[in-house]
Order: sequence, then C-alpha cells, then structure tokens
Amino acid sequence: MTCEEVERDLDAFVDRELEAGAAAAVGAHISGCLGCRGRVDDRQTLSRLLQAAPYFAASDRLRERVTVRAARANWIGQLARWTAAAAVLIIVVGSAAALLWPRPRPADDLTADVVAAHVRSLMGEHLFDVRSSDRHTVKPWFLGKIDFAPPVVDLAALGFPLSGGRLDYLARRTVAALVYQRGGHTINVFISPADDGADTGIQSRSDRGFHVRHWTHGGMAFWAVSDLNDAELTACAEALAREASRQGS
Amino acid sequence: MSRQRFEETVLPHLDAAFNYARWLTRNDAEAEDVVQDACVRAIRFAASLRGDDARSWLFTIVRNTWYSRARGSQRAIAPLDAAGGEPADEALDPEEQLLQQQRVSRIRAAVESLPADFREVIVLRELEGLSYKEIAAVVDVPLGTVMSRLARARERLLAVLEAQRREVMP
Repeated sequence: MTCEEVERDLDAFVDRELEAGAAAAVGAHISGCLGCRGRVDDRQTLSRLLQAAPYFAASDRLRERVTVRAARANWIGQLARWTAAAAVLIIVVGSAAALLWPRPRPADDLTADVVAAHVRSLMGEHLFDVRSSDRHTVKPWFLGKIDFAPPVVDLAALGFPLSGGRLDYLARRTVAALVYQRGGHTINVFISPADDGADTGIQSRSDRGFHVRHWTHGGMAFWAVSDLNDAELTACAEALAREASRQGS
Repeated sequence: MSRQRFEETVLPHLDAAFNYARWLTRNDAEAEDVVQDACVRAIRFAASLRGDDARSWLFTIVRNTWYSRARGSQRAIAPLDAAGGEPADEALDPEEQLLQQQRVSRIRAAVESLPADFREVIVLRELEGLSYKEIAAVVDVPLGTVMSRLARARERLLAVLEAQRREVMP
C-alpha cells in the first residue's frame, strides 16, 4: 500500500469506518511509515482536543420550556384532528336540535328576576326560613305570613327531596319559596297567586346558565329555577305540577 | 406523539440536540429557540421516526429547523461567543495546562469559524460520535460527501494546530 492510498483512507481508519481487511492493510503500512503514523497521531490529537472543549448541555430552563411547549403542541395537534370531525358533528346535531328541540324562550324580565332571586338565595345565607324535609312542617310555616296557601309536596321518592322553605320577594310581591335538592344542586320553586287564573303547560326559559320552568295551575303561578340540567329540571317541574294538582283536588 | 413518548424519545437527547444546535448557531439564545422549535416539530413528525434511532432523527429535525430559520432571517450569522473556561487537564504541570487550555480554546474557535457544512460533520463525528452512515442520514448527503467534508474539515483544523505549534516552538 502506498502512502497516497493510505492518506485517502486515513480519516476512515481513525474513525474505524474501514472494513476489517482494509483496516489491517492500513495498520500494517502505518507501523512501518513514520509520515503516515504522524498523520494518524495528528488526527487523534485533534479528536482529543475537540472532546476536551466544553459540551453544550441543555439548560434546565430549556428542558422545562420544551416540555411545556411539547404538551401544548400535542394538545393542539389532537385538537386539530378532532376539530374536523367535531365540526361535522356539531352541524348535524345542531340542525337536528334546532328542528326538534323545544326552544327556550329568550329571557324576559320575570325570568331574570327569578334567576336573580335564586342566585341571591344561594349566595347569601338566606336560603331557609324553615328548614325541614317534612312537608307537614313546611306548609304550616307559611300560614299567617302570606295571604295564600302554597301547595307543598314531597318529591323525595322521585329523587327531589324537599329541604325547606322561606319567604322571598319577586315581581313586587311576597312569594313562597320552596327548596328542593338534587345531588349537589338546589332547586328553588317560587309560588304566588296567578294574575289570571288560566292553567298553562310548563314553559322553558333560560338566563345566564340557569334554567327556569314556569307554569300556572289552580290559580297559582310556579317558577322552578336551578342550574340543574334541562331534562332533570323538567322532570322535577312535571312531578311538582302533577303532585300539586293532586293535592289541590 | 403522546407526552409520555416525547419524554421517552426526545427528552433523553435534549443535551445532544442543544449541543448540535449550539455549534450550528454559535449562540446560546438562538440554539435554545432552535431546539424548542425542533421539539414541537418532533411531535408533529412523530410518525417519521422509524426504528429506535431517536437521536439521529432529532438531529435531522434540529438541522432542518435551523436551516429554515436561517433562510427566514439573517440571524444565522451570529457573533462568536468568547471562548474560555475550558477545564484544565490535572495530569499536566501548570505550564502544560495553560498550553493545553490555549490549544483547546484555539481549536474550538477554529471549529466555530469553519463553514457550517464542515462544522456540523466535525460536531456530529467528534462530539456526538455518529457513524458516517448516520451523519449522511442527518445531513442528507451521500456517504462519500460526508467523508470528503470530514477530511477537509480536519485538514483545516490540523493546519490551525500546526500554526500554533510553530508559534510555541519556533
């Protein structure tokens, strides 16, 4: 092997990238050639010096930033994948819902008042004037305090236990408020004499994330309000209307 | 790519990715930006990771990120950081230690002043220990090109060493 041939393979030899046969041939030449031996030594010295230079390691700050960005990118990527599918779903379900769903009427002043009274009762400490799950305790409590007798029914068997009652003020008149529970949700039912006596079915309204059910029966107007989901509040209102009319008759 | 997979495949090579990016950009802040962008891309291109060679794969993404950033702005031409602070070799006497430190500083500055094509093959080979085949994949050139770039880069660096040797021992 000539020095020129060896020189061509010098880097591959130093980097151990030559095949075994070729490496052996270069090795044999080097052991007898000072010039080529020197060139190999130079490259090994260079490697040593390069590896002695400080290694640039990632800072903790970068590691943290990268982890956070990665989590976000991952989330965005998944979001993008689902967005198309979700958009189609929303359009289909939305159109169906618009056609089939009984649309709640926009909030009117009275609905807003009902919701405000509900929120007030939850935020303040005045949720109960009488605290009892027994309708035979709650109903007599109203006697003499208001000029009407609100029907008080127990819906515990249907999953809406009575927890008490109080006087409240709604649309410039004093009303009876009954409090029912459903899981962690509070349902306020406001009752007052109806302005006109005609019975109505249950009407759905919403305001600020609260649902309201309103109906009139037997000369009494009812407003049930809660952050409970639509279906359950409707079930509660239906049960109330049914039981109250049974009690009244 | 799930967060867990990211932590298993990318995070272990973050130092290597930063080292490579730092030599490419020659600037700490820009290297951090490159690595950060590269990691986001790594997640997006997770499907392109074949086999288990996550390190070379990450190098490729770091390199592409740096190239696309460099094309987008002129910031790729960053000022050289001052070299210094290299650890001394304890086995040498003080005079030799100083000489060694000077040689390391000089060679590091020489690498930084190499054209990027040469610089990266030196870094990938000498500092990251990649094989020629792996370097060819990262840099996306034929094996022969890797070999010729490496040989020419070494010739330049050896010339710097030789010049320094002559300064010390005229």
